[in-house]
Amino acid sequence: MANLLWLQGGACSGNTMSFLNAEEPSACDLVTDFGINVLWHPSLGMELGENLQRMLRALTSGEMPLDIFVFEGTVVNAPNGTGQWNRFAGRPMKDWVADLCKVANFVVAIGDCATYGGIPAVAPNPSESVGLQFLKRAQGGALGASYRSKAGLPVINVPGCPAHPDWITQIVVAVATGRAGDLTLDEFQRPKTFFTSFTQTGCTRNMHFAYKVSATEFGQRKGCLFYDLGCRGPMTHSPCNRILWNRQSSKTRAGMPCMGCTEPEFPFFDLNPGTVFKTQTVMGVPKDMPTGVDKTGYIKLTAAAKAASPAWAESDIFVV
Amino acid sequence: MTAGETQELLKTIADMLGKGLRTVTEPFPETDKEFADILAQLRDLEVDDLEGKLVVSGFVDHPFGPDQQRCMECMYYLVHRRWCDLPELAVPVEPDWWCRLWRI
Repeated sequence: MANLLWLQGGACSGNTMSFLNAEEPSACDLVTDFGINVLWHPSLGMELGENLQRMLRALTSGEMPLDIFVFEGTVVNAPNGTGQWNRFAGRPMKDWVADLCKVANFVVAIGDCATYGGIPAVAPNPSESVGLQFLKRAQGGALGASYRSKAGLPVINVPGCPAHPDWITQIVVAVATGRAGDLTLDEFQRPKTFFTSFTQTGCTRNMHFAYKVSATEFGQRKGCLFYDLGCRGPMTHSPCNRILWNRQSSKTRAGMPCMGCTEPEFPFFDLNPGTVFKTQTVMGVPKDMPTGVDKTGYIKLTAAAKAASPAWAESDIFVV
Repeated sequence: MTAGETQELLKTIADMLGKGLRTVTEPFPETDKEFADILAQLRDLEVDDLEGKLVVSGFVDHPFGPDQQRCMECMYYLVHRRWCDLPELAVPVEPDWWCRLWRI
């Protein structure tokens, strides 16, 4: 049995909703098939008040082993570094987080808020929110860049807004079943198995990307969402078009631009007016190129692709 | 719009530009805010105000600027339909034309 504790800081519960929708494996499978003992979870835990505090104290004192500590949401430091804006079980949540991370074998940050700060950390960041080990791209966060769990690993970051249900349960299972050593993490401590390829990998609109045919409005059944609607699929690391949402779809398949929510800078441009769902350009050329492509190459590629594009690229690809 | 109507509209636009219609080619919208401002001006026009569309968007009937930018490479240009797919414009265009809403 592996003891798992799940707590929430500055969170909307989106990752909890996602977790409860998991299918491969499901949240129930974690308990019945993989021997995970969910000690407490904000939406599932039975203990209240003193009973919960007693359990938390047993964990922080080492009386009860904590194998996996899952955290959802930001670590809230306001006001003035005290954390009093986010109190839980009699004290600031940030203090529980610090103490629990000292005794946990593994720490898993779920969702963009817990990993990099996410939406709550957007300037001016009134809640003084940080992720567990990052604030955006900067290492540090609540625990510090040098933090290692008792098993010797940094925080395992599973970003996303929310993280996909199966990314959550599959990582938890890997850790709970002694396969954490098989997890290789990238520079932002994301499991490479999920976060090496791009959102664009497997996108059904890739032919429109190749032939430079743009979608100009939401929900169009043709066109690439990168050129005009701000899609970040070509430069966002995620398997959203490989491990589909609800087993059947993704944002881009539905005609909605990828917002880059698995990257540390999410939400991009601090949600300034005119930056959401609009490709940012300088003199008509995108500011953010697909990863690995430079401006000169991009312009040459565009000219060639437009000239060679077939007629069908301008027609609807999904016909009702 | 039928193919015939599209062709007729294309000829109308070509005639207007050929007769020296003065359009607002400068300033080129360097930022997205400037780009959005031009789109807002276009939305304020009457639906059938073709000349207004051409003037506000800065249409010319030749490649433009030191980089010889043209509709052909613009993201909004549909090659086979010879059509500008920017919703605020939605007009037939020739590949060697240009307007200041050019994006790549």
